[in-house]
Amino acid sequence: MALDLIFFARVLVFPGFLFLLVLVLFFDWLERKIAARFQNRMGPSYTGPFGILQPIADYIKLFSKEDITPKQTNKLLFVAAPLLAFSLFVFALFFIPIDGSNVVLYSSFEGDLILVLLLVTLANFGIFLSGWASLNPYSEIGATRVLTQFLGYDIPLIILAICPAFLAKSLSIVNITASQTLPFALLIPWSCVLFVIALQAELEKDPFDIPHAETEIVGGYETEYSGRKLAFIKLSEDFQFLIGAALVTVLFLGGAHGPVLFGMPELWHIFWFMVKTIGVVFILEYVGNVSARLRIDQVVHGNWKLLIPLSILSLALTVIVEPLLRSVIG
Amino acid sequence: MEKFENAVEVLKNNLADAIVECRVPKPRKAYILLKPERHREAISLLLKHVEDAELSTISGTDLGNEIELNYHMACGGTVTLKNRVSREKPVTRTITDILPGANLYEREVFDLLGVTFEGHPNLERLMLPENWPKGDYPLRRDWKPNANQEGESNSEEASQTESAAELDDAGSVISVVMGPQHPLLHEPERFTFKVDGETVVDAEMRLGYVHRGIEKAAERMMYFQDVFLVERICGICNAAHTTCFCQAVEDIGNIETPPRALYLRTIIHELNRVHSHLLLLGVAGHLLGFEALFQHVWRDREPIMDIVERITGNRLMSGFNAIGGVRRDITPNTVEKALKSVEEVRKRAKFYKVVFEEDATLRLRTEGVGVLSKSDALKLCVEGPVARGSGIDVDVRKEDPYAAYGEIPFNVICYKDGDTWARLMVRAEEVVESLDIIDYALGNLPAGRLRVRVQRKQPEGEAVSRVEAPRGELIHYVKSDGTAYPYRVKVRSPTLANLVAFPEIIRGAYIADIPAVIGSFDPCFSCTDRMVFLDTQNGRRWRWSLDEVNNSKNRNVVS
Repeated sequence: MALDLIFFARVLVFPGFLFLLVLVLFFDWLERKIAARFQNRMGPSYTGPFGILQPIADYIKLFSKEDITPKQTNKLLFVAAPLLAFSLFVFALFFIPIDGSNVVLYSSFEGDLILVLLLVTLANFGIFLSGWASLNPYSEIGATRVLTQFLGYDIPLIILAICPAFLAKSLSIVNITASQTLPFALLIPWSCVLFVIALQAELEKDPFDIPHAETEIVGGYETEYSGRKLAFIKLSEDFQFLIGAALVTVLFLGGAHGPVLFGMPELWHIFWFMVKTIGVVFILEYVGNVSARLRIDQVVHGNWKLLIPLSILSLALTVIVEPLLRSVIG
Repeated sequence: MEKFENAVEVLKNNLADAIVECRVPKPRKAYILLKPERHREAISLLLKHVEDAELSTISGTDLGNEIELNYHMACGGTVTLKNRVSREKPVTRTITDILPGANLYEREVFDLLGVTFEGHPNLERLMLPENWPKGDYPLRRDWKPNANQEGESNSEEASQTESAAELDDAGSVISVVMGPQHPLLHEPERFTFKVDGETVVDAEMRLGYVHRGIEKAAERMMYFQDVFLVERICGICNAAHTTCFCQAVEDIGNIETPPRALYLRTIIHELNRVHSHLLLLGVAGHLLGFEALFQHVWRDREPIMDIVERITGNRLMSGFNAIGGVRRDITPNTVEKALKSVEEVRKRAKFYKVVFEEDATLRLRTEGVGVLSKSDALKLCVEGPVARGSGIDVDVRKEDPYAAYGEIPFNVICYKDGDTWARLMVRAEEVVESLDIIDYALGNLPAGRLRVRVQRKQPEGEAVSRVEAPRGELIHYVKSDGTAYPYRVKVRSPTLANLVAFPEIIRGAYIADIPAVIGSFDPCFSCTDRMVFLDTQNGRRWRWSLDEVNNSKNRNVVS
């Protein structure tokens, strides 16, 4: 019974669903605030202190708005796709050790890194399906762009995720995190930089925000969505952003591990996790704000001709220098 | 100037038998009345013998029993070739085979005056809505807005089915409609792109969503009132429109504008250009997905708006020009403040020039995109920064100096590349050039009166007036019949001239190039659509009531 209570508390409250939701909303706000400061604007400032409640207000508004399903669409897909994408992203987050261990205790296993990457891939298909089901020229072009771009960047992303796994000699995220006495970003910086670039594309941020280039195809795959379903799409985008930032943190920055000065180690774990993830968010936003949107053909060329060979090279390099690094890791 | 005299000489020597009357009342302005159907020869001659000759526009005037078609040719000045057709059977030969750039102008005259151009490739409506009654030509003198409003109705359905048929897709080619409401456009126009994957196969455009009937309305107002009317054609280049109109009227009435007024006009005109170009550079950033650039440029545009407000009392609609001068003076204190702001903006403008030159992502998106070669640009008669981006060295300020431009040193920026990047760079550099002009004009303001008194009635006559608006050559043609009301006011804004080229160069490009190319054209549709009379009270045939809107939504949508 006691175990059950802890189980439910962890899944539903901390560090499970509720906490993740708050975290996602916080990152949403942070993202907007950083972008605004880059653009010489104020950003959200009225709702709550420093406008921190603005994302909540926005979601409440979206959830209470009229929800329209166009007549011609495939209704099942149209409704299910955003929910599918959303739940897959949440599920994937459950395997990220936020306070040092997974949301469901002792659920970490050898290979959950692959599971997380797989879930993210599947969720992206959900996003593609949502656009495809809309039967709108803008959505269709947007959905096609999601897939085209995705095929390019998902492969290098997975190859690059193998690099830290190789150093840690484990495919379990918890083990990878635990084995980073020195963050892997310092040991194999080349993989880390490439991973962030591939991630930028995965998260559809400038210069890779081609699938929803508003001046070309309005909302891209989400053009036809409104109300609750749009809220779920937006939420899944936010969750994806958190997963992306968290993946960099756990794979390359040592995750929740850092110096514990006093008090409960769990709180320090959360603290380090947050600090590192905010740093990653800042880098992602920085890149996004100093570049124009590329064109889909340029991105496809870049991915297949540049990023994939480079990521294979960086994996090879990691394998070669691994014996050297091992002495450093100890 | 030589070019202009050469052009008139060529016509006089080679077409003596066709010329009925030839007047050159002002330097660089010629009005040549031709015998019917001789206009094609005259235009071919000019194109052959005058370097970089372009057609500015075609304006039609209803003379009572004849319709006069004025072909305004830009060659150093303006040579206006007049071709008269009968009003009962208004038919003439097209010039689109000689000069493809005349396409839209002929459609416009066809639409509004009912003149048929034989041999035109697609003589269809340009400005009026599809359900406008046939045989109703609003720019004819006897047309009254109220008399003809009870035509056949429910063409709403007709136009809907038509657009449904248009969108019938075949194979892998799908139609993507951008506009009238689309984030790409800041004003309502419709572009239909046939798209195969990511490639644009074909493009069509439909203008006329923001008609306000200004040309017709101008005939019903006195000259001094019309100044405020033409100002409202476009917010961004309002000073260009008023300057142009005032010049035309001053030309008709032989009014000498005091030099101080000319300098002040120049200052406001250039401030307009600076803020318009900065606006466009920011919009280009937005269209290319570079939000930070957009926000920064727009913030740096604010000091310019502040100077305009300080000088004229308004941020945007300056209300500054009047026939015979300007309406407000500038104080030494303001001059000092303006000079300081200009210095501030100049620093930023130079920085943005570097950004456009050096930013890798911007160059990836704009270089080699939407190339318009010099020969095509000449054939399509494009104007302003679009022409200068394609290596045509045209600038009304240089070749036909007006206001104080004859006395102010400045350079005409010209790029040879002809791509989107070149068009944006022309603007980025022109901002700095304009700031120099403002600097010079503020430093060398002559003393004297602000304006001369002008009578309401103007003598009989006609005048073509040209200015270099931010988007290119703006031309006003005013005809007076000796009363206080103009007989005809014709406005051709630069966007209409440049839009002809858009479908031509977008074919074969990527979808993502559409915003880039449109942005580099800097379209201003409120300028372009200005002349149709839409009476909001009687125009209910094509407007839906709120109930109808709700019903139609329920028909198409289930929630």
